Amino acid sequence: MIGYIDKIREVALKLLNEEKVDMVIGYRQGSLPMMTEPCFVKRPEDVETLIWDSNCRINLAAYLMDRKEKIGIIAKGCDSRNIINHLVENKIKREQLVIIGAPCKGMIDNKAIALQFGQDIDEYQETEDQITVKGGGTEKTFQKVDVLQENCAICNHRNPVVYDELAGDLVEEQTDIDRYEDIRKIEAMDIDEKWNFFEDMLSTCIRCYACRNACPLCYCPTCFVDESKPQWVGKSNDPNDTRTFHFLRAFHCAGRCTDCGACERACPMDIPVRLFTKKLGKDCLDLYGWEAGLDPEQRPPLDTFKPDDPNVGMK
Amino acid sequence: MEYMGIDRDRLHFSWVSSAEASKFITVVKEVTASVKALGPATKFVKDRRQVS
Amino acid sequence: MSEWEPKILAFLCNWCSYGAADLAGVSRMQYPPNLRVIRIPCSGRMSPKFVLSAFMNGADGVWVSG
Repeated sequence: MIGYIDKIREVALKLLNEEKVDMVIGYRQGSLPMMTEPCFVKRPEDVETLIWDSNCRINLAAYLMDRKEKIGIIAKGCDSRNIINHLVENKIKREQLVIIGAPCKGMIDNKAIALQFGQDIDEYQETEDQITVKGGGTEKTFQKVDVLQENCAICNHRNPVVYDELAGDLVEEQTDIDRYEDIRKIEAMDIDEKWNFFEDMLSTCIRCYACRNACPLCYCPTCFVDESKPQWVGKSNDPNDTRTFHFLRAFHCAGRCTDCGACERACPMDIPVRLFTKKLGKDCLDLYGWEAGLDPEQRPPLDTFKPDDPNVGMK
Repeated sequence: MEYMGIDRDRLHFSWVSSAEASKFITVVKEVTASVKALGPATKFVKDRRQVS
Repeated sequence: MSEWEPKILAFLCNWCSYGAADLAGVSRMQYPPNLRVIRIPCSGRMSPKFVLSAFMNGADGVWVSG
């Protein structure tokens, strides 16, 4: 996976030189080791700033909404599914896009590594399946599989679903994974246990809305939390308001969420917000056999009616 | 809702045609009975005294 | 106050259940008085935020009917 960068730069350079696209959206090194930031390359001479490693966690599809220009974009499995979401929801046209697919073996969890390393990290190196970090006079090597982000570890769509170019060979999909173990655990709780579990989980939420802002699905011109006439969600840190926010956000992502993990990554308080979106993902799979972002031609289950749709709790 | 820890019986959905007054009555009775059985809602209720 | 009575917020579709409620009234049928009815132009107008808002504002139950 680490060898992709040459191909990515080559394709990006070609696209820009031939003026097939106005800009290429990719990753560049951030100001700290193990951090990347999105970058928008508009001039051929800038393609050298593009990088690719196991820290390219950000979902680049979040930068596509309502763009007018032609765009080349690097897409991992999850990014490509979110691109399909945008196509389905008419947020961008397929003709505008040149998708550089990057078959992905999972991105690493920098917070987990920092926690296990216990020192400031000054240097970072990776090989195909090992991560080495240095800092404070010591160094430590991790196996990449041990430090994957949780959503990457249970990912079942590693290869991009749509692409025009490929940065490397397609990788093998994980098939023997249990995606919903944690959800089932919560479902098995009784009603008060559930309530207290979420009360506890959300008690640290500071309502910064970073999860919403990072999410490639959240593009409403005015978010329901910002509406004031009527005001659905209070501005205070009342637990009920916090709960409403997380609950409704999850509902807005029902049948659309690709479990890219952007929300959880963005959370400064490390709240596992994916527990909400994943539950609805599981319901969509169980009730409608639907996984988001796999086919641009198919309408999502919540916007179609079929006579044999299940009647959940209807009288 | 249930996943969040709210009793399932507090939220009801149904289909009643405009000609089905008697079904309407049945459903109203059912809904009222099931909510009554649960007692007053304590979760998710904002304390108005705190808000003002 | 004798017995506790629940407050139930009912979201009724203009064309279906609201009509049924009207018919029930015109036909002088008896039913429990715990409902507070909100007429919505169609069940499609329903949004999860209505439900949460209802609970937050003190409803004991919510009934959505199309």
